[in-house]
Amino acid sequence: MQPLIPRSFAVTTATLPKTQLPPSTHPFAEILYRLEAGGAMLPDSPENLKQIIGIYKAYAVPMDFYWRDLLYIAERVFLNPLPFFKYFLPQEYLDLPNHYAGEGADLRVWRGEASAHPELLEFMALGETGKKLPRLFHHLWHDRVNMEFAEACMQAMLWHQNMGGRFNDYMETDEYRANADRAIKAYFKNNPFMLGLYKLFPEMFMEQVKQMSYYSNLGLFWEVMAPVFFEMSDRYDEGTLTSVPEAMQFLVNGIFAVAGRPIYHHVYIGGECYEIIPKSQGFTWLYEAALPYVEAVFYRTAPFRGTKSYNAQAKQVPDRQEDFHYGILYADVFPVGSAGIPPTLLMQDMLHFLPPYLVEYYKNYCRGEDDMLIQLGISFQRSMYCVTSAVIQALRQALFYPLDDPDPRHLAINRQFFEQQLDRFKRPEARILNIQTPDYR
Amino acid sequence: MLTLLLVLPLATPAVLALAPPNLSPRTIASASAFILFVYSLWLLLQFNLTDPGFQFQEYLSWLPVIGLSYSLGLDGLSMPLVVLTALITWVAILCTHEDQPRSRFYYSLIFLSTAGMIGALAAQNLLLFFLFYELEIIPFFFLISIWGTGNHQYAAFKFLLYTAVSGVLILIAFFGVAWTGQGSNFDFSVVDVAHLGWRAKLILLTLVLVGFGIKIPIIPVHTWQPDVYVAASPPVAMLLGGVLAKLGTYGLVRFGLQLFPETWHLVGPGIAIIGSVSVIYGSMSAIAQKDIKRMVAYSSIGHMGYIVVAAAAGTPLSTLGAVAQMIAHGLILALLFHLVGIVEAKAGTRDLDKLNGLMNPVRGLPFTSALLVLAGMASAGIPGLVGFAAELLVFQGSFPIFPIPTIICILSSGLTAVYFVILINRTCFGRLDNQLAYYPKVTWGDRIPAVVLMVLIFALGLQPNWLLRWTETTTTAMVASLQPTNASFSLATVPELSEPLASPPSPF
Repeated sequence: MQPLIPRSFAVTTATLPKTQLPPSTHPFAEILYRLEAGGAMLPDSPENLKQIIGIYKAYAVPMDFYWRDLLYIAERVFLNPLPFFKYFLPQEYLDLPNHYAGEGADLRVWRGEASAHPELLEFMALGETGKKLPRLFHHLWHDRVNMEFAEACMQAMLWHQNMGGRFNDYMETDEYRANADRAIKAYFKNNPFMLGLYKLFPEMFMEQVKQMSYYSNLGLFWEVMAPVFFEMSDRYDEGTLTSVPEAMQFLVNGIFAVAGRPIYHHVYIGGECYEIIPKSQGFTWLYEAALPYVEAVFYRTAPFRGTKSYNAQAKQVPDRQEDFHYGILYADVFPVGSAGIPPTLLMQDMLHFLPPYLVEYYKNYCRGEDDMLIQLGISFQRSMYCVTSAVIQALRQALFYPLDDPDPRHLAINRQFFEQQLDRFKRPEARILNIQTPDYR
Repeated sequence: MLTLLLVLPLATPAVLALAPPNLSPRTIASASAFILFVYSLWLLLQFNLTDPGFQFQEYLSWLPVIGLSYSLGLDGLSMPLVVLTALITWVAILCTHEDQPRSRFYYSLIFLSTAGMIGALAAQNLLLFFLFYELEIIPFFFLISIWGTGNHQYAAFKFLLYTAVSGVLILIAFFGVAWTGQGSNFDFSVVDVAHLGWRAKLILLTLVLVGFGIKIPIIPVHTWQPDVYVAASPPVAMLLGGVLAKLGTYGLVRFGLQLFPETWHLVGPGIAIIGSVSVIYGSMSAIAQKDIKRMVAYSSIGHMGYIVVAAAAGTPLSTLGAVAQMIAHGLILALLFHLVGIVEAKAGTRDLDKLNGLMNPVRGLPFTSALLVLAGMASAGIPGLVGFAAELLVFQGSFPIFPIPTIICILSSGLTAVYFVILINRTCFGRLDNQLAYYPKVTWGDRIPAVVLMVLIFALGLQPNWLLRWTETTTTAMVASLQPTNASFSLATVPELSEPLASPPSPF
């Protein structure tokens, strides 16, 4: 199976002609020019590359758990009213082959294995303590992958509206309701109490099913992203990924390669598969999963408890969901260290899987090992600006014109698109200017 | 016995000068200060709690022609202050960084100032007291002008001028006391003002009040204090506020209340008013500050006002409270200056408008912030901490005599909470500034002095008898003579004891 991205493929600034457009008056003009030259919002430097690749790898290992458990919850746990063990991933799902890794992959993005990553398995067995204790002990000690972060991302996607795509609208259709109804009745077939509750409060159960559909959506999204990040890390280790624009372009190519991957929701009840959202609906990875995920998690999210003291009556939180600005691209990593909220849960997960070169790097700055959580949180922020750049470039490529288009009118349209995207970072909370300097750690 | 308390700090500079270069001056200094502190504790344990007079007395006729004798002794007023001096000296040395420039000279000056303070507290001769009182001006001048920050040269000269004037006024008073008495003998056992007319006593007492008032300081001769405390480095500020200021209140009680008991009765209301004005002024000024070190300096003016009001009332309880407040304030102020010093050293600023989010557990100064909260609580008189015990005694003892000044002091105690809440809210809570918040770690070397002080603040707050038992007998005897009569009285007289207020001395 050929690797997804040929090693020789790269769009570098050297191959693009000089812009024919006049200088931009946008406050982020320098970043704009970088985007027009095929680069990312994150400046290209060896330090930036080391940080983002290292953090992609540290992110991909827990992500390997997240997507498996998300699918397990969506497909098997489903509407269990007391899902105490939903984070106890069964072996079946640990062995579930990733469709984009391993020998039998549909499209082999990562040259590694299809089952759960060995580092993940080792962590699940020994935890942070390094001791082989019963899983329940690790769980109660919170020495585990913080699945709550994944659920928070899912909830953000569920709650935010008007993010494009048809996935959300489909869940209001009669077809979806009929599919859900069948699944609910099958799930609670021998439970008259729950069936009675469903008769009394059908919308409550529908809402739960919608939530499960988003579990599946996010699980299928991250099933793709994990091998992408693993492959980028391997290429960096091999020395074949040498710049931030190359990393970004790898992501762009990955987006296009997997854009058409179906997004669906199947539930397995009593050995039978119930298609709540069938593949035939034609929901695709790019428009129904990736773009809503980026919008909900990178841009919008919601204020996390304890990080913002706000008075809704004083309009300190925007009235419109579209104006929410609490995602990673706007996050202030400093005060949330060890706060126990979703970003810090992810930071703790990534801390467990940092590559050695990144650990050594962090030891040389700020407080070394003592504030590694913050340092890696900021590296993660940089890396997500790189991912967002890839999404922006992919959208530009899909909807507008090539970067080397000879027609200045087309280039002007591209510029207009980039400026509209950059306008979202004009608010003071955005970290786009912070990531331009290496001092932001 | 007491001479060792002077020999040790006076000999340490010689040891520092002669020590080999590979021996760290800080190690020598902290070892010497620790020995001094332990010795002072040993003396404390030898102290007879039932004897209101001077103990461990030593006498050597030095210059009898001018009435100067080497006469030392400690009573319940000076004994705790000597221990406080030794403790704060040790803690101040621990707070000094390893790479202090010109460290041998620096530590030598600290020990000279310590010798001056201990000598003044232990002196049993007015001239000897004055000698030691003036001795520590020079070391402090150099400590402020060389190792200070900001406008330190100006502050050093201001300190020199004010304290020199203070010394001159006190010397004039002492000369007046001695020369109008039995010849030129300045010994405590001999000086007597009973034979003087009330006008003469009033003039001499006024000189004493103004002289020591400058040192405390009280309104309106306080203006040197904020500039000097702010310009001094944190260890020097600890010594200035924690110990040197107590020389002023010590002098107020010893040479004001004890030497002029009848006249004290006359000037008491005025002193109480000045004390309460100092309290209010200090608190209000502290609220207005943007510089956290200056805020602590003004808070010190406020808290010294409690001592003045308590001394003015002159009841057994209030005088006991005055001494307790001297110790409590010394500990709390030293802790506050140390913590503010850590904040400045790590964050690079003392500006309330710039500091924020120091409680952050990963990038902030959480340990320092937590101690700052506790120190603020101690200063505000929260029960369980030593400030409460001292202030309660002050208020309870003063209220029957001066109810309105006492009420003003109580209200100001609430204002203390106001400015400390401002300080803690602005510096410890909120967001860390992403541009500025790359602070170095606070090391255990920075934390240990603060922990030592905080443990004492807690221990003496939970068991205030450990603070009061040394002083009660002496203060009770001191105020027993505070009657509006013409009875002869000298600094060494021991009138009949009244019943002790607190519980009888119990085992440690």
